[in-house]
Amino acid sequence: MPLLDLKGITKVYSLGKTSVHALRGLDLTVEKGEIVALMGPSGSGKSTLMHILGALDTPTEGVAMLDGQPLPRLSEDQLADLRGRKVGFVFQTFNLVPTLSAQRNVELPMIFLGVPKRKRAVRARELLAKVGLADRAHHKPNELSGGERQRVAIARALANDPEIILADEPTGNLDTEMGAAILDLLRRLSKEDGKTVVLVTHDPEAARIADRIVHIRDGRVLEETVHG
Amino acid sequence: MVRDFLSLAGSSILHRKIRSWLTVIGVFIGITAVVALISVGLGLERTINDEVANVFGVDTFMLTARGVFGGRRANQGFSLYALDLEWLRAQEGVATAAAVRQRTAFVQGPPGPDGRANQGFLPVTGLSPELVTSFASFIGSLELEPGGRLFDADEILVAVLGRDVATRLGVGVGQDIVVAGDGDRPELTLAVVGILAASDAGSSRQGFTSGMAASGDTIYVPYDTMELLWGPADDVLITLVRTVPGRDVDEVAAQVEAALRARGSEVSAVTYSDISSAIGTVTTTVSAFLAGIAGISLLVGGVGVMNTMYTSVLERTREIGIMKAVGAKNRHILSIFLIESGLMGLVGGIVGTLLGLGISSVASAIIGRIFQVRVAVVASPALIVVTLLGAFALGAVAGLWPARRAAKLPVVDALRYE
Ligand SMILES: Nc1ncnc2c1ncn2[C@@H]1O[C@H](COP(=O)(O)OP(=O)(O)O)[C@@H](O)[C@H]1O
Ligand SMILES: [Mg+2]
Repeated sequence: MPLLDLKGITKVYSLGKTSVHALRGLDLTVEKGEIVALMGPSGSGKSTLMHILGALDTPTEGVAMLDGQPLPRLSEDQLADLRGRKVGFVFQTFNLVPTLSAQRNVELPMIFLGVPKRKRAVRARELLAKVGLADRAHHKPNELSGGERQRVAIARALANDPEIILADEPTGNLDTEMGAAILDLLRRLSKEDGKTVVLVTHDPEAARIADRIVHIRDGRVLEETVHG
Repeated sequence: MVRDFLSLAGSSILHRKIRSWLTVIGVFIGITAVVALISVGLGLERTINDEVANVFGVDTFMLTARGVFGGRRANQGFSLYALDLEWLRAQEGVATAAAVRQRTAFVQGPPGPDGRANQGFLPVTGLSPELVTSFASFIGSLELEPGGRLFDADEILVAVLGRDVATRLGVGVGQDIVVAGDGDRPELTLAVVGILAASDAGSSRQGFTSGMAASGDTIYVPYDTMELLWGPADDVLITLVRTVPGRDVDEVAAQVEAALRARGSEVSAVTYSDISSAIGTVTTTVSAFLAGIAGISLLVGGVGVMNTMYTSVLERTREIGIMKAVGAKNRHILSIFLIESGLMGLVGGIVGTLLGLGISSVASAIIGRIFQVRVAVVASPALIVVTLLGAFALGAVAGLWPARRAAKLPVVDALRYE
């Protein structure tokens, strides 16, 4: 059974009189442990797809299954729970909470799952060490560089030991060198920890860490290429 | 988890220090006003009650003409009624009783150097000797001019004069005055044994005498002397009754009142609890009215919290999206925002309570100085607890609508928010 299984997904945003068809009958499966890169021009629906994959949004039509569970049937609270346990998000704009330290940001997903304080702190320190930021635990986001912020975001994505990491253009706001470090980190998470990674990117270099590249155009899968 | 939400809310409050403080100021002004007004009100009530208890004693009641106390005729001066004091003393539950009678009489002073005596119609007040022996607190400080004294229990043909009367009659201690009673009774010649010191204006006279106007104008004689001059009492101004220890004063008062009415005396019995509840009604009404006005400023403070929270929700839309993306449920978001607004209310409540108590003790001191009394400072624990809970609730209620808005934001929209 694939970890992610999407069939005939459409997503329509209605904006008053007009409506935008962001996804038009898209099929996609992702196996456990895979790194999949989504590529496509801006506006082709990649982010929309990521939101549906990560239970942040529900499709207008079609069935999205995460780990065998059909998402549209779940209540808002169940979706929140699923996001907390099974999915780790990494965004292009980092999306850290500005008022909280790096450590507290990493603890955030654990707070909502009710992990006890002490356990949380230990885990957050571990993860920050894993992404090479052991000495930045008490820094606020605005005291960190872009690359460091993205590493905090990755540490946060790993907090509840999710099955799947969804990274939407994680290197988009970083220079080449920092971007390469982030990609390397994601690759190691997949190869060493067996995490499933879905990665949106424009960068053919970035796509190299992927086992499979899915090209998206106008809300549909155009073609898939499998890496050696 | 509540602890974590508290600390999340706290971080956010501290992150926006100035705005949070301004919001808190909006709350604490209202709380300060309410706490100060209620505390001063309670303090005054306690003070008045204490004063009344001091003078009155909880085992004592008072008989006045019906409707005098707190009635429609309260402003028309005292009315008189008939009373048999010996009968009253014999009533069940009565330990001792003292009465005051009042008449206007034709009075003559001693002859002057020209052989002519000063004379005139003057108020004559008869006092039971028990007033001094048993009800001293009602009499208050009766200060006599040097060389004078009050009359003793078994004396009859004696008088104590107010300063003004003494001057008008041209009489001093040791001289006599002549008082005419009822037409068919003999005049009495009374020895003046004391003259009341002129009360210096401003000195606070306490107790019963302070209620009797123009004491400088009055001739005081023993109660029994009144009987010799005018016969049985039908001109009683006021009677004080002390009950037997252990008896319920309200019960005895009610029995005596009923018995007296049955005998044709239109009297009302007034006990400490009557006075106290009358005072309570007045002070409670006034306090409630003032607190109501202060409550309006609380409302304004609440709107301030609502405004701040609404702005905060808008500003943090993205943050709300992030929290939901990492697993926060709607009720988690709701709690965080409610705790945040409640905390601002609570801090406003704490500051306001402290300031309000401070202001009320200063105000009590000032009022005390003006009226020459010790005003009790009341820091009622119930008031403080209710105020703090109320302040938290005010903040939370004001934050409810913004917090619900925050909780209901769709994740994706919140994340896209710039
Ligand atoms: N919340 C939304 N409301 C309206 N239109 C949206 C919304 N999200 C995305 N879209 C539209 O859907 C299309 C796909 O967007 P998106 O998934 O963000 O593309 P990509 O990430 O590939 O650039 C775009 O035309 C975009 O304008
Ligand atoms: Mg996008």
